[in-house]
Amino acid sequence: MKKYIKLTPEGTKDFLFAECSAMDDICGGIEKVFVSRGFKKVITPGIEFYDVFSVPCSGISQEEMFKMTDNKGRLLVARPDSTLPIARMVTTRLKNSILPVRLYYKQAVYRNEPTLTGRRNELMQMGVELLGAKGIRADLEILTTAISAISSVADDFRIELGHAEVFDALSDGLDIDEDYKERIRVSIESKNYSALNNLLDKLAPSKSVSAIRSLPSLFGGDEVIEKAARICEGTKAQSALEYLHTLYTSLSSLGLGDKVIIDLGLVQRNDYYTGFVFSGYVNGIGDAVITGGRYDSLLSEFGKPMGAAGFAIDTDALTLLRLSDSSVSYSDKPDVLVYAADGKEMEAIALVTDLIAEGKKAQFSVLPTLEETEAFAETRGIESVVNVE
Amino acid sequence: MKPLRIALTKGRLEKKTIELLEQIGYNCDEVREKGRRLILPVGDNDFEVVLAKAADVITYVEHGVCDLGVVGKDTILEHGSSFYELLDLGFGRCKFALATKKDFDFYGGYNTKTIATKYPNVTRAFFDDKDMDVRIIKIEGSVELAPLVGLADGIVDIVETGSTLKANGLEVIEWVTDISARLIANTASLKLRKQEIEDLQKKLEAVTQ
Repeated sequence: MKKYIKLTPEGTKDFLFAECSAMDDICGGIEKVFVSRGFKKVITPGIEFYDVFSVPCSGISQEEMFKMTDNKGRLLVARPDSTLPIARMVTTRLKNSILPVRLYYKQAVYRNEPTLTGRRNELMQMGVELLGAKGIRADLEILTTAISAISSVADDFRIELGHAEVFDALSDGLDIDEDYKERIRVSIESKNYSALNNLLDKLAPSKSVSAIRSLPSLFGGDEVIEKAARICEGTKAQSALEYLHTLYTSLSSLGLGDKVIIDLGLVQRNDYYTGFVFSGYVNGIGDAVITGGRYDSLLSEFGKPMGAAGFAIDTDALTLLRLSDSSVSYSDKPDVLVYAADGKEMEAIALVTDLIAEGKKAQFSVLPTLEETEAFAETRGIESVVNVE
Repeated sequence: MKPLRIALTKGRLEKKTIELLEQIGYNCDEVREKGRRLILPVGDNDFEVVLAKAADVITYVEHGVCDLGVVGKDTILEHGSSFYELLDLGFGRCKFALATKKDFDFYGGYNTKTIATKYPNVTRAFFDDKDMDVRIIKIEGSVELAPLVGLADGIVDIVETGSTLKANGLEVIEWVTDISARLIANTASLKLRKQEIEDLQKKLEAVTQ
C-alpha cells in the first residue's frame, strides 16, 4: 500500500519562515484594528457537530465539508466557517450577557474543494461579528471596521455594497417557485445576462421583471442609486435602496472616492444574509478578500433571535500578495554570529543577549568549531563572526 | 496600469473573436502572425491576448491571471465555476442533444440507462433535473460509437449539423441546451477595472447584436 508520509493533503501546505512573517504582519495589522475598535477575541473548536452547519440558510453544502464521527457515531465536521460556531456560542455561553457583544476571531476554516483547481482546503480567516445590535449605527461600525482593516494591509482596494432585500423584494412579486427563484438568483450573481434574460422572458412582463433584468448591470457610484430608484419605483425594493443610499452617502465622508461602489447584483449568499451585504477586492487578488453583511435571521436558528452583522477576511490571499511585493523583505539572516570556545559558552550567550539589546540581530553559534562557524557564516552571507575565547 | 488580459479559446473561437476586435477598431496583426507565441499584444497595447484550450480559459479567468475570456457555453456548463458571464457573442452556435439509435425507446422500461458522453457534468445535471438515475461513462473520442457497439443506450453530445449522427443511424430525441461563445470576466477584475471592461463590453455588444 502506498504510504503518504512525505506529502500534505491537497489544498494544504506548510508555511515556512518568510511566509509566517508575512502572515503575522498581515494578521497583526488587522488584529490591531479589531482590538482598537473594541472587539474581543474568541476561539471556537476545530471540529464541531455537523448539525451546527446544516441549519436552514447556512449556505454551506454537505459536499464542501470534511466529515468524521465521534465515538458515539455522531457526525462531526472540520469547521467550514466561523460565523455559525460563533452564533452557537453566543446563544449558549453568552446568553445572559449584556448586548451588544463585539467578537473577533483568527482561525482556519476547512473546505473540501474540487481537486486540481488550485483552491485551498485549509484557509486562515480573520473576522468580526457584532451581535445583539441592529440599525445603521451597527452597520456603519461593521463597514468602517472592514475598511480600516483592509486599508491597514492594502492601498488599492474596492468595497462594494449591496442589499439582500433588493432581490428578495423584487422576486417576491413574481409568481415563481423557490427553484426558479434560485436559478434567477444564480444568474444575477454570475452576471450571466443571457441566462437571466432567458429565465425572465418566460414570465409575464411586470415592473419587478424589468427591475430584476437590470440588477446585474447596476453597479458603480451614486448614479446607480438614481438609476435603480427609477427602475424600482413603486416596488418593495425601494426602502432597501434608500437604506443603501444612506450607507453609501455616510461612507463618502471618509473620502474614499470610487473605492466604495454599489452593486445591486451582489445577491450571493442571500440565504444567509438579510440586510446590507458587502465584498472587498484588492488589486492582485482574483477573488473577494472580504465578504460580510447583516444576518439577522441566523441567530433564531439557534433559539435566540438577535441582530447580527460581521465579515471575514481571507488573510491567506493577502499574505501571498504581501510575499509577492518585492519592496518588503522578510530576511531572517543575523548580522552577527557569536562563537564560544570550550567553557566560554555562557559568556558568549550573555554577549548575544547584550548585542540583541543593542538592536543587533545576533545569534549564538551552535557549531562545535570556529572553522565550521566561519564556513557557515560565509555560505549564509553573515557579515561578522565574533569569537569569545 | 497593465493592459487588460483576455484569454481566447484556441481555434475557431479565437479567429471569430479576432474578427470582432478588428471590427471595433483594434489592430490584431500580432495575433494573426503569432507564430508560436502564446501571449500577444492587441491594438496599441490596449489588451494582451492569451491563447489557451477551452477549459483552461475558465481556469485562467477564475484565478484572476486573465481579466476576461472567450469560451463556449459548452465548456462553461461542463467546467463552470465562479466568474461573470457578460455577453453572448453570438458565434460558435450549436446545441447539446440527447441522441439514441433510431427508433430506440429511451424512456421506456424500468432499467437504468447508460449514457456515453464527453460532458459528464452536463449529462448529470440534465438527468438530475428529470430525477432520473443514469449510468454515465466518460468517452474521450467519437461518442457516437458507444451506442453502436452496445456500450451505451444513448449519448449526450454537441450537435451542429447532425450529419455524423445520421450517418451512423442515430437520432436526436431531446435537445439539452443551446450553446454559443461567451465573454466571461474575473469577479475581482470587473470591480477593480470596471470602466475598461464595460467600455469593451459595450463595443462588442454593438457589433454582435
